[in-house]
Amino acid sequence: MKRLKRDIVVIGSGPAGLCAAIEAARSGAAVLLVDENAKIGGQLFKQIHKFFGSADHRAGVRGIDIGEQLLRQAEELAVEVWLNCEACGIFDEKTVWMVRDKEHSVAVEAQRIIIATGAVENSINFPGWTLPGVMGAGAAQTMINIHRVLPGHRVLMVGSGNVGVIVSYQLLQAGATVAAIVEAAPNLGGYGVHTAKVRRAGVPFYTSHTVKEARGNGHVERAVLVKLDSQWNQVPGSEFEVEVDTICIATGLTPAVELAFGSGCRPFNSPPLGGLVPVHDRMMKSSIDSIYIAGDVSGVEEASTAMEEGRIAGLSAAHSLGTITDQMFAERLEQLQHNVDALRSGMFGQKRREAKDAIVRSYGVER
Amino acid sequence: MSDENENRDMLICRCEEVTLGEILDAIDEGFVTVKDVKRATRAGMGLCQGRSCSRTIARIISERTGKSLEEVLPKSYRYPVRPEKMGAALSREGEDESNN
Amino acid sequence: MNRITDHPILGPLEEAEMVDIIVDGQVMQARKGEMIAAALMANGKNTFRKTVKREEPRGIYCGIGRCTDCVMTVNGIPNVRTCVTEVEEGMVIQTQIGSGEWQ
Ligand SMILES: Cc1cc2nc3c(=O)[nH]c(=O)nc-3n(C[C@H](O)[C@H](O)[C@H](O)COP(=O)(O)OP(=O)(O)OC[C@H]3O[C@@H](n4cnc5c(N)ncnc54)[C@H](O)[C@@H]3O)c2cc1C
Ligand code: FES
Ligand code: FES
Repeated sequence: MKRLKRDIVVIGSGPAGLCAAIEAARSGAAVLLVDENAKIGGQLFKQIHKFFGSADHRAGVRGIDIGEQLLRQAEELAVEVWLNCEACGIFDEKTVWMVRDKEHSVAVEAQRIIIATGAVENSINFPGWTLPGVMGAGAAQTMINIHRVLPGHRVLMVGSGNVGVIVSYQLLQAGATVAAIVEAAPNLGGYGVHTAKVRRAGVPFYTSHTVKEARGNGHVERAVLVKLDSQWNQVPGSEFEVEVDTICIATGLTPAVELAFGSGCRPFNSPPLGGLVPVHDRMMKSSIDSIYIAGDVSGVEEASTAMEEGRIAGLSAAHSLGTITDQMFAERLEQLQHNVDALRSGMFGQKRREAKDAIVRSYGVER
Repeated sequence: MSDENENRDMLICRCEEVTLGEILDAIDEGFVTVKDVKRATRAGMGLCQGRSCSRTIARIISERTGKSLEEVLPKSYRYPVRPEKMGAALSREGEDESNN
Repeated sequence: MNRITDHPILGPLEEAEMVDIIVDGQVMQARKGEMIAAALMANGKNTFRKTVKREEPRGIYCGIGRCTDCVMTVNGIPNVRTCVTEVEEGMVIQTQIGSGEWQ
């Protein structure tokens, strides 16, 4: 197996990984950024809508455009990028084993590793959920915005959170019909702006409802919806059918923690942030000194927070290698932490901030 | 999740085609961690290596037994983390050690 | 055709070089560099394999290479994840039955 050495290896090139690589390179470290996809950017390039978040954080700019800007910065700083490269394991807290182009194994010994692997979609199960036509909302989004192919023409969206309403709107833009959005909870989950756009387009929302079954001969042809009572039990007799050829599942994301936990990072259970996450401190260092984490893998939030966390991780990792002075580090860190705190304010943000604080507190206690 | 008895025939593990009923039976027979259920039913042993079903199985066990998710999830992750051909890891062994 | 040729934000679909792929013996046109799954769905094919036990049809599910539900036999090699594998001129793609066979 090939063996190479680098200062810092960043795994995952979404907003978190890209920003981590840029910040670390700007701080003077030699950085290698790897991603399993053929294109850089993680979730960013699927997001053709304008971003939420504060003006400071490029609210009003589309994800794809932020992606382009970051790409240029990474190029200017000569960040080394390997695409089609899956990180398959981390050994001895330093060595990243990767497979390039699905066949060549490479081992890279890194002084610091930044894990920015993002999150994976949750699934829900109902009879017929394995029929062709039932897919993750992320799969549908990839199909329409990246590959520019419609996965279906009449879609049922399951879940009314941001992902559910944003992908619904994008499906409409791509020319599909969204027959309905179902939400098991009594209230809608997404931000008002996104929800309103879909509602204005005439898409019906069914709260306190879920999918009971997908039916069809060899492919989805109908979905059976059912009402839920206050105990989340199905109300017998309330079933009705909607004719759809596609059912998209948007029922939340879970941090992609395999690499982190496989390398020995200590877990912490944070239900508000998507479940088990690697414990980390305010500098985004995990319980292992050579491993940093950032973005959705450290708790599912938003692209804007992922970017700031990435910068913090990149800065801290570079500083720990002595590439910048303590003073430069302290000043920049304060600025970045101020940014991230500002993003975690407001009704939705406050909850995430409390959840993040709990993770950081647990880091201090058990170390 | 929808009604248990009604849906015993529903697949939980997409790869190995293991049903909810088979998993519930295994739990009732005392297989109460994700690893145990895998041993008993093959759920999680498919091509995706449990990536699509492990968390669901953990949730089912936890709901059925009252155990916490941490208790039922695997304590350690086994590499590789992706459904990669292990062959790739081995085939190139020794190809190039130093000249790079 | 299920291609999104006009898009209010992404604009018109750029011209691309087309390649021929052979799907279950039938010739289909694909855009050079696109994923096999995208090419098939553009051509209206949504079932990629049949499962071992129940012989059920499956298509894409995660779309990003994680679930392995979209695997097909490609150029004689079974279990190729079509959502993350690019088409190539003359590629022979077959609906995979069960766990597939090396050919
Ligand atoms: C439909 C949708 C809409 C959204 N809309 C918004 C929005 O409007 N505003 C907002 O702020 N946020 C939004 N988000 C959330 C935002 O996209 C995420 O919070 C953000 O992308 C997280 O960034 P990340 O860098 O942590 O992960 P990701 O963007 O997911 O990037 C992770 C990358 O790592 C790669 N990777 C994972 N494991 C490996 C491995 N082992 N080897 C190599 N590579 C690997 C992945 O393939 C991926 O490319 C949205 C999310 C979705 C799904
Ligand atoms: S879904 Fe169970 S192993 Fe793949
Ligand atoms: S659709 Fe999941 S791996 Fe291709």
